[in-house]
Amino acid sequence: MKVPQRLKQSREFGIFLILLAVCIIVTVAAPSFFSIENLFDILKGNVVLAIMAIGMLPVILTGGIDVSVGSMVAAITIIVGNFLMKGSDNILLAFVVGCLSGAFLGLINGLLIAKLKIPPIVATLGMMSIISGISLYYTNGNWITGLPKNFIDFGRTTLGSFYQQGDEMIGLPVQLVFLVFVAVLSWFILRHTLVGRGIYAIGGNRVSAERVGYSVDNITVFLYAYEGFVVGLAGAVHTSIMRQVDPNAFNGFEMQVISAVVLGGASTLGGYGSVIGTLIGVALFAVINNGLILMHIPTFWQKIVVGIVLIASISFDVTQKKYWESHNTKVDIEEA
Amino acid sequence: MNPNAFLQIHHVSKTFPGVKALQDIDLEVQRGEIHALIGENGAGKSTLIKILSGVYQPDPGAEIVIEGKKCNQLTPLVALKKGIVVIYQDFSLFPNESVAENIAITTDIEKGTKFLSWKKIRSSAKSALERLGVELDLDAPLGSLSVAKQQLVAIARALTFDAKLLIMDEPTSALSKSEVEQLFAIMRNLRDSGISILFVSHKLDELMAISDRFTVLRDGKYLGTFNGDELDNDILISLMVGRKIEYTIYPKRDCRGAGKVLELKDFNKSGNFKDVSFHLYKGEILGITGLVGAGRTEVLKAIYGINPQDSGQLYLEGNKITVRSAEDAVRHGIAYMPENRLSEGLVLRKTMAENISVTVVDKLATRSGLVDRNRQSELVTKWIQELNIKPPYPDMLASKLSGGNQQRVVLAKWLASNPKVLLVDEPTNGIDVGAKTEIHKLLRDLAESGISIILVSSELPEILAIADRILVMRRGRIVGEFNGENATQEEIMNKAILGGKQPVKA
Amino acid sequence: MKKNTGKKPQARFQSKESVLFFIFIGIFVLMCVLSPQTFLTWRNLQSMAFQLPELGIFALAMMLVIVSGGMNLSITFTAALASIVGGVVLSTMTAAGMGPTITIVAGLATFVLIGFLCGALNGVIVADIGIAPMLATLGTSTLFEGVCLNITKGGAISGFPDAFLWFGNASVLGIPFPMIVFVAVVVASYFLLERSPFGFKTYMIGCSPTVTEYSGINVKKTLRIVYIISGILCAIAGVLMSSRYNSAKESYGSSYMLQSISAAVLGGTDIAGGYGKVVGTVLAVMIIQVISSGLNIFGINRFITTVVMGAILILVLTINYISSGRKASSK
Repeated sequence: MKVPQRLKQSREFGIFLILLAVCIIVTVAAPSFFSIENLFDILKGNVVLAIMAIGMLPVILTGGIDVSVGSMVAAITIIVGNFLMKGSDNILLAFVVGCLSGAFLGLINGLLIAKLKIPPIVATLGMMSIISGISLYYTNGNWITGLPKNFIDFGRTTLGSFYQQGDEMIGLPVQLVFLVFVAVLSWFILRHTLVGRGIYAIGGNRVSAERVGYSVDNITVFLYAYEGFVVGLAGAVHTSIMRQVDPNAFNGFEMQVISAVVLGGASTLGGYGSVIGTLIGVALFAVINNGLILMHIPTFWQKIVVGIVLIASISFDVTQKKYWESHNTKVDIEEA
Repeated sequence: MNPNAFLQIHHVSKTFPGVKALQDIDLEVQRGEIHALIGENGAGKSTLIKILSGVYQPDPGAEIVIEGKKCNQLTPLVALKKGIVVIYQDFSLFPNESVAENIAITTDIEKGTKFLSWKKIRSSAKSALERLGVELDLDAPLGSLSVAKQQLVAIARALTFDAKLLIMDEPTSALSKSEVEQLFAIMRNLRDSGISILFVSHKLDELMAISDRFTVLRDGKYLGTFNGDELDNDILISLMVGRKIEYTIYPKRDCRGAGKVLELKDFNKSGNFKDVSFHLYKGEILGITGLVGAGRTEVLKAIYGINPQDSGQLYLEGNKITVRSAEDAVRHGIAYMPENRLSEGLVLRKTMAENISVTVVDKLATRSGLVDRNRQSELVTKWIQELNIKPPYPDMLASKLSGGNQQRVVLAKWLASNPKVLLVDEPTNGIDVGAKTEIHKLLRDLAESGISIILVSSELPEILAIADRILVMRRGRIVGEFNGENATQEEIMNKAILGGKQPVKA
Repeated sequence: MKKNTGKKPQARFQSKESVLFFIFIGIFVLMCVLSPQTFLTWRNLQSMAFQLPELGIFALAMMLVIVSGGMNLSITFTAALASIVGGVVLSTMTAAGMGPTITIVAGLATFVLIGFLCGALNGVIVADIGIAPMLATLGTSTLFEGVCLNITKGGAISGFPDAFLWFGNASVLGIPFPMIVFVAVVVASYFLLERSPFGFKTYMIGCSPTVTEYSGINVKKTLRIVYIISGILCAIAGVLMSSRYNSAKESYGSSYMLQSISAAVLGGTDIAGGYGKVVGTVLAVMIIQVISSGLNIFGINRFITTVVMGAILILVLTINYISSGRKASSK
């Protein structure tokens, strides 16, 4: 399939340009957008989405999908919350517990999909039910409040000083560190390990990937477990931001995660996408949402926006592929 | 054992259910030689390649010797380890990944390296390209390269496997003249460095230019290995085709009197065919032949609407018609039996009865809108009997039928729709000789009954047996027309390969 | 020996339906035994008979799309949107003092129209643009949900005419009206899917869209119709639901999506498309309804019921995988 080089370079770049354009539009419509306070709010408000989107990326890269992430991250917040209340108030331990729990749930997904050959949509749909059912049963829908003080203080920490809030100087939220960590880790795995290249290969051409020697099943199990690990981290991060646990906080969140990844240029047909693109996609998604809020457009529009964005992005991707495939040269025609 | 030989095989046969694909083949490929494997479609070339690369196992009694050592079980992994690398026509590359990765990542996969060093990958890729004497942008995504360059990447990847025998399947089919020259220069370099190359091609002029020796297969049998200076085009052609035609030769008819049922004027499709104009008389079988990649299937697909032409007019019984989809075509009474019977002609998971009914299911409805099961079963039974489909169980899954019977089911489905024109693409591909002759008879009977047939086939004896008129295509154009009565295989092959540029030796 | 005529799967399926029937009887008896006072009461049977039709119609709406080779993840929000818009029409006309007959006729027409439009949108995205059905309907489900919320602002639509309550709550000769509707839908679905040319084409497309297209069938048109019918079925389920609740909210029926897929697969529909029998799906719906009601009666927390439903889906597919592996290795 002939794909002009420019196109690959320009996909992420093109989305970045769209991001800039949207920023400008929003600033014009609502000048308060471009204030440090607002931008920091956007950052803090979307760091969890960003982390989860990066976790979802490998899944989309192989042409799969995971609709259980919303219920997964909610379950992790419950686990982390309970751990802090009843176990220990050690922050590091809490994060580790979150990551491991997430990895465990992701591993189950991976096994169902790779070993039992259950289609990803069905496996993750089933898991979503199971996980949310257990979570809601355990908490009975109740929130967990009164987390240990040191954890709460940790969640409030900021780095550097950029602007004034009350009589404090506020910097970047500490949760950003986790985002950077996950972004770098994912980038490294995708770019510099065999597993990562295998993920791209499976998404690009599964048969060729097998022919060339990648162990497709093992890579699949790994990537769902890794996604779980990242989602687990997101859950711990979220708890540190909100400082309380609401089991229903993430209902329907999986749609936003998937949309952000697709918006960031990843192809649902598999084989194309990047961490940078995903981050830009999250930023674009966040800016659009923020713009809606600042322009006083009711939040119900958010779901409509998500739906349209998802369909439009995938349409673009699919139409492009069809175009390139129909322009394939099949016969070397003799010049008269 | 010849010490110069890299590979020697004796008594290699391969039997599939109902078909003997290879019989008692001998082959010897020397170190540092370019060896051409020639034969028509169905001669057994791809089966032989699959055996050499370990994908198929030969029948018992075969002897395979690689670098002087006997090889008992040649599996794909063993073949790779011994340095036998096949470059398939589809290359098995990843279009989204860089050139460097496509070339060199296989070594890491084999070793199972956890953390990749792009530096090492790049330098490995670079040295592979240097061995080829080619310069490519290591970071370019593979999909952005032309097919010719992608092929070079595939060859470079083969070199990283430490290839000693490169097997190439129709390597020049998608290349322009200058790209072919470049490829040949690279092949010569590889040969001079001691690598053996075995390649399959139909293009005799190219073969003559590059090959040291030629092995000719015909109908699964080994005809011989010849040096370059022992051959010229005509000898090669006669070797490839010359044999007694085993098929019944039907009397050819002149159907001009019956009038034109189909006419194409100036059909053009970029990258597919150019300036294609011809007509089909009522009740005739018009054969279209040529080498693989000549554009014949593309023309059929354009007539049938599934890959419409860019420009050109189509006339059915004198009236201009527009066909932009299969639905249009069927409505006009045009039917199409595709080359890939399994993926395009039949639904394997469904029954014979269901496959036969699919073209006319709307017409089988009663007034209440439901499918009339009695009429359906009558229709199915009728065609099973008429076409002698075995076993005659309408509820049998299509996947369980033999190739010949599967083809009959496809034919039945089309005959059920009462077509005026039947487009048939390689109808007897992968079918044993007995079944082939029966299908020939079926086609002749259909033509006699008034159905006009365009038959695309690479098998010359078949075309000569049943076609009333023959068109030859080459590289997207029609280059010749023959009368079915007095055409010879040599003449047709000549046109197909050379396009009539060189005079035919008397 | 006349073995292995490669007999059509129909023979196998016939026994599969009997297996389902026995499973149903088995679970029903089990529930009766475990809690005879509450399960085997007229009240409970009536309650099941009122609820089952909703799940059943959703399951058929899902099954139709799965047979065509896709999946419809927007069924619940199609029903919700139809209910909400229909509800708005009903309540507005009632408030305006218009007669019940014309109100209900207009309301029902609105339900069906919305179902039609939602289905048509899905159909166009899947057939004409060519997005994978799973992703397309995932997107449209979010879209529909958004539109629902936009209209209701998170609340519920109410103010239906009293006569409307009849659909979801009344009985005719002792048989709940929804059950009558369900039987009608089942019969119509059977004839449409398993006996009509349209259904035939749908099965073929589910197995191989390419071969079907090459055979001269207009695949795009058929797929559009598939999604439209699915949407209309959802609208019908929406009528029953909103009549039973006497209100319309976007969250009503959310548990039905997973259960519909479970019912379709449990009933023998091949998740890859091309196979499925209406009677199988109906039996599976009965099994799931009995389990759901049973768990409810035993006082099991509804969240655990959710877990059970998810587990059933995964279990059914696992069993399918294992049994297909066994079949393949015994060849």
